[in-house]
Amino acid sequence: MSRSCDHAVEQIYFYVDGEMSAFRRMRIRWHLRRCGGCCDAYDFEERVKQMVRNKSRTEPSAELIQRLHTLIREEAGDEA
Amino acid sequence: MADQANFEADAMQFAPQLYSAALRMTRNPADAEDVVQETFLKAFRAYASFTEGTNLKAWLYRILTNTYINRYRKAQRRPSEVELGELQDLYLFRRLGEQSGASESAESEVLEQFVDADVIQALESLPDNFRIPVLMADVEGFAYKEIAEMLDIPIGTVMSRLHRGRKALQKKLWHLAEERGIAGRAS
Repeated sequence: MSRSCDHAVEQIYFYVDGEMSAFRRMRIRWHLRRCGGCCDAYDFEERVKQMVRNKSRTEPSAELIQRLHTLIREEAGDEA
Repeated sequence: MADQANFEADAMQFAPQLYSAALRMTRNPADAEDVVQETFLKAFRAYASFTEGTNLKAWLYRILTNTYINRYRKAQRRPSEVELGELQDLYLFRRLGEQSGASESAESEVLEQFVDADVIQALESLPDNFRIPVLMADVEGFAYKEIAEMLDIPIGTVMSRLHRGRKALQKKLWHLAEERGIAGRAS
């Protein structure tokens, strides 16, 4: 682990989240091209983020959706 | 200004994801349904104040989050600002690397073995102040600035809670992997 690896690890979430200036992004890319360890770590963090996104959804019941429609229509009726 | 007559057509498309987020916040289907209903009612009544052309999804999530916080955080006796203790960078990557040795793709293969229930359990294990930023960034895809506005906290606070929350989430995932024999003990 070099100092640039330490820096890359510190910056990993800013990169993964796209919350980084183009210049800083480019500097990270230069490092990743030369450092297999950091490159694997970056890939991994991106996959974890994707996994959290893909594996944490719960669908509502059809009844709830129906109830929301009814709620809005009743409320709109009251105000009309 | 948005027209209240369009509310149903504009906002209902977000109902399933708002429910899912509410369920991750409340950890309980009945409470999640209450929060979502209250959110839609408040949003409908306030729809005239929504500026058309701005981000409706972010506006709805802001109402959802505030509804949850107002309803449940106040009711809790325990303090909501929980700390997480010391957390390592790349927690899961390093634990998995230690056990798999050289194989490059092993870490990612382990991820495929986590099921929805694991990820949900890990998310729901996080204290509120860390769980909500992780939920908003990772699951809902909001930017740091949007989350800061939603929660009325400085952007630096969003970053630190999100980053720390993710590390804690990975620690929890590692423990679940060990318990389920996906990783760790078997080797």
